[in-house]
Amino acid sequence: MNETHEIKARVFYSKTKQACYIAHLDTIDIICKALRRLQLPYQVTQGHHVRPKISFGSPLPLGHASRCEQFVLCLESMVDDQWLKEGLSQQLPDGMDIISVELPCKEEKKGANGDLVDYTFGFTSPETAEKAGEFLSNPETTFSLVSKGRMKEYRLGQALQAINKSSDGNLQLINARFIQGKPEVPSVSKIVTALAEFLGEQKDNLVQIERVSLTKL
Amino acid sequence: MKKVTDHITHWELLQIEKPARYLGGEVNQAQPKQNPELKICLVFPDLYELGMSNLAIKIFYETLNADPRLQAERAFSPWVDFEKLLRHKNLPLFSLETGTPLNQFDVIFVTLPYEMTFTNVLNLLDLGNIPLTWQERAEGPLVIAGGPSASNPLPVSLFMDAVVIGDGEEVIHEICEFLIEARKSGATREETRKKLTAIESVWVPQFPGKVRRRVYKGFADSAPPLKPVIPNVQAIHNRAALEIFRGCIKGCRFCNAGYYYRPKRERSVDNLVKYSQELLNNTGEESLGLLSLSTSDYCNLDELISRLDRNKLYAEQSISIPSMRMNENTLKLLDTAPHIRKGGLTFAPEAGTQKLRDIINKNITEEDIISVVKATNNSAYRTLKLYFMMGLPFETAEDIEGIADLVLRIEDISRTLKPRKQISISLSGFVPKPFTPFQWSPQASIEEFREKRIFVRQKLQNSKAKVSWREEYLCMLEAVLSRGDERVSKLILEAFKAGCKFDGWNEHFTRSGWEKAFEICQLDPQEYLQQKPIADPLPWDFVDFQVPRAYLEKEYRAAAEIAGVTDL
Ligand code: SF4
Repeated sequence: MNETHEIKARVFYSKTKQACYIAHLDTIDIICKALRRLQLPYQVTQGHHVRPKISFGSPLPLGHASRCEQFVLCLESMVDDQWLKEGLSQQLPDGMDIISVELPCKEEKKGANGDLVDYTFGFTSPETAEKAGEFLSNPETTFSLVSKGRMKEYRLGQALQAINKSSDGNLQLINARFIQGKPEVPSVSKIVTALAEFLGEQKDNLVQIERVSLTKL
Repeated sequence: MKKVTDHITHWELLQIEKPARYLGGEVNQAQPKQNPELKICLVFPDLYELGMSNLAIKIFYETLNADPRLQAERAFSPWVDFEKLLRHKNLPLFSLETGTPLNQFDVIFVTLPYEMTFTNVLNLLDLGNIPLTWQERAEGPLVIAGGPSASNPLPVSLFMDAVVIGDGEEVIHEICEFLIEARKSGATREETRKKLTAIESVWVPQFPGKVRRRVYKGFADSAPPLKPVIPNVQAIHNRAALEIFRGCIKGCRFCNAGYYYRPKRERSVDNLVKYSQELLNNTGEESLGLLSLSTSDYCNLDELISRLDRNKLYAEQSISIPSMRMNENTLKLLDTAPHIRKGGLTFAPEAGTQKLRDIINKNITEEDIISVVKATNNSAYRTLKLYFMMGLPFETAEDIEGIADLVLRIEDISRTLKPRKQISISLSGFVPKPFTPFQWSPQASIEEFREKRIFVRQKLQNSKAKVSWREEYLCMLEAVLSRGDERVSKLILEAFKAGCKFDGWNEHFTRSGWEKAFEICQLDPQEYLQQKPIADPLPWDFVDFQVPRAYLEKEYRAAAEIAGVTDL
């Protein structure tokens, strides 16, 4: 291991199967414990409550799977990226895996203009996929959801940036690109909740909700 | 075979609070074995977050799964939303590891940590499609309970095939060994139950007889659980649990735990340091919790803490000591160890006057508390919590007044300190527990408890101290459930039928359900709460607690003598 000053590692991980029901704060706790078990030479924060110097991407809504979660960790010294990837993967619960490690990592854009987020939705029924496609592709789609205890009206507007369909075995897939983090643009979490409501009973045919990539603008 | 969870949709799971509680797959979870000889489910009758902090579950899970013939899995009480879903979909409660319905195990071991979980046990069995009473169970798993609340097993006698009294570490393996043999020999259920009585400390309701509390003599040299499951939902105690000793030598006369866990058995400093490294390595927990009933009584506490402090595995590692009796020495000790998590100052004087503290044998003086409070001037300690009991044996009006006086005095002193302390006090009704010197004592009535509580609050009306209290009806119920006989089993059953569950949770406690149950069973709670003549047999006399009745009687008389009472 080489001694250098501030070395940052960006770790990409996935959350699938039952792990997509682990809440964001619990995920952070699980990862911090995994880092300690690995005895990784990470830096810690200053102050009263010392913690690993680590920052996480935007929280994944509960129940969404993802193949693009990430965190950035400050290390005290260089470690082998392959060792980190494999070692950390072994320390995670079922459904969480390390996809790749960028070490040292480049600074990422701040995302001041929002994020582009790609999602894949998998349906067991072509009719439901059709119906969902119509809901998502119409910028005039409106829906109401309770926000902070009050009913609020939302319009899909420019939230959806692109959409296409494909299939994977028995699943009909909708690949959708959303823009996030802009004023008046509903979050994917809200859109998915509204979609489920729109689908009614047919929502049980929507069996896969997966965040595939996230790019800061 | 399909897992039960396969029948629950994504959208249904999203309606549930913290669905990860029910899905397993955590780090350090035991891997399923091919054709184990005995399938065991360890059941904890409360939420996942509480059960995952329970030491007994950790111990049994690790030692049972270390045996290649055994497969031990876990199940916890589902929260009401998930229960509703299971019932709505007609799905059975299942284990976390393999999603197996509870009724498909060979044996269910239920931990009974507190009496208020008894209705939850019935709910778990019901949800697991297991008949509630042992008489109704001609097949399916045997249901065996243990834990401090089973020290008098009569209140759960209707539901259990067997009850373990005392430390479970050895007994649980003896039972498993025996059940494997019983299966091989094709023993009937009744034969199996009969034979279980041969194991020391196992009491079988179908064949009731004398039973002796088990003491795990090998505790001091045994290893604690070193690779516990890491919860996917933060546990109530988010720390690596290291039990440093078992038992307590203080002999507080009201304390069931003090007698249940006797004698005191300590693990050595060398071993504890070694275990702590392994435990932290395997869990990655930030905090190491040194657990015992009264940690300040560990013989080499200074050495233990300084060595743990020196052998830190990671920078943010801290030590937490939940049951530390504070005095000036322990305060100094905490100050010398920078990595000990300093919560607030906590004291349990239990009684308001020195005389009553002497009666209950609680060795803490007003001066002890005040000197510690003064010594925390200019320190980080900001909060001070005091625990009191009301309705203690031989209590007088002066003792109740003493609670408020003590709080006011501490508050006065605290005003002169920086930072000023936030004081809170917790009031609870005394519960006379079996196997303690106060097992013969009466319990104050609900009205008396209430009057005392109102009196203390009125005396503290100009004080800034926060007063909280335990609902008086719960104190009464706890006394009935711990001092009960077989009829209390029926009471629990009726309460469950009336919808009672999560009785320890304020938002779920249904007083009307219990009142209805008392009515149906034609039981008068008073019968269980009144003074018991020393000469009379007690319902739980068949349990040899390894603390002679004569000793408890002597202690009771010693308490009475301080109070100036000779006629018991
Ligand atoms: S109250 Fe605490 S100190 Fe007293 S006997 Fe019980 S455990 Fe020991």
